Amino acid sequence: MTIQLNLQSDKVEVAKAENTVVTTTTVSIKEVFLLMKTHQVGSVLICEDNKLVGIFTERDAVEAMVEDVDLDLPISEVMVTSPMTIDEGAPLAEAIRLMAAGRCRRLPIVSAGQQLTGIVKVSGILQYFVEHFPQAVFNLPPEPNIVISEREGA
Amino acid sequence: MAIICPSCCHENIDGADTCENCQHSLTGLKRPGHSQSPIGNAMIRDRIASLDPRRPIAVPSDTSVAKVLQMMQEKGVGSMLIVDDGKLIGIFSERDAVMRLGPDFGSYGNRPISEFMTSSPDTLTMENKVIFAVHKMALGGYRHIPIVSGADLVGLVSIRDILRYTSDKLTAMDTAAE
Repeated sequence: MTIQLNLQSDKVEVAKAENTVVTTTTVSIKEVFLLMKTHQVGSVLICEDNKLVGIFTERDAVEAMVEDVDLDLPISEVMVTSPMTIDEGAPLAEAIRLMAAGRCRRLPIVSAGQQLTGIVKVSGILQYFVEHFPQAVFNLPPEPNIVISEREGA
Repeated sequence: MAIICPSCCHENIDGADTCENCQHSLTGLKRPGHSQSPIGNAMIRDRIASLDPRRPIAVPSDTSVAKVLQMMQEKGVGSMLIVDDGKLIGIFSERDAVMRLGPDFGSYGNRPISEFMTSSPDTLTMENKVIFAVHKMALGGYRHIPIVSGADLVGLVSIRDILRYTSDKLTAMDTAAE
């Protein structure tokens, strides 16, 4: 079985992130900043009735910092509305293509009717690679370019 | 067919057990069908240079936090490299902005970036294989690896470069299969 076949047959769910942080449109920007910090995540999804309406990522956070927005405003003022999503059960290869083409690092996974089921992140995809060619990855020395000056042994 | 050492890129004769140059074990590599994955194989074969790392944007360590954030937004980059006298001393990413500055960012605006950067980040060289970048990013959990030549900073590889590389390989395979 090749990785190519795996990428076509494996569903996007195999690389789904363990934790998805979700909030509502009315919470303040400050609370969202704190959510990101406490949960150690780079993005927060914003939902209404479990329907995805927006996303707020690290990049948006930097923008908010530069523009010095009022942190007491609701997140709906600064979130990215109708973010790019991927359908439940789509092949992982599609997620990779979407991310490479769409210049995004996270794709919320939605079922029919925009119901949020999770998120796939670029780090999850990298982890998938590592798990699927472990021999290539785990047989590497800890650092490249280490040259032993003399042969071992007599 | 020569066996290329994954560690130092030395070309060894077929059947070698250890690398002539660095003594890295090659036993896993010569086993038939050692890696069934064409993408995995390509990552062992291709060098970082093939990702065409972009020129990084660098600032000195005494630059203010506000200035760094502003530059990141203007240039649309996810991380800034901190360089003093041409020597890489740190990296500051969007992740650092969220985790270290957080909602109190306003009060840190005039502080030097050196207080918030990640010091002495992991680096690679242009000659290293792509698989090393994947390895470091997956284990270290970061998305950017500065590329150096000696002590000089020459490029930056981001997780997006890896994604693009994989996506290009997938497309090439699809085309070849048709």
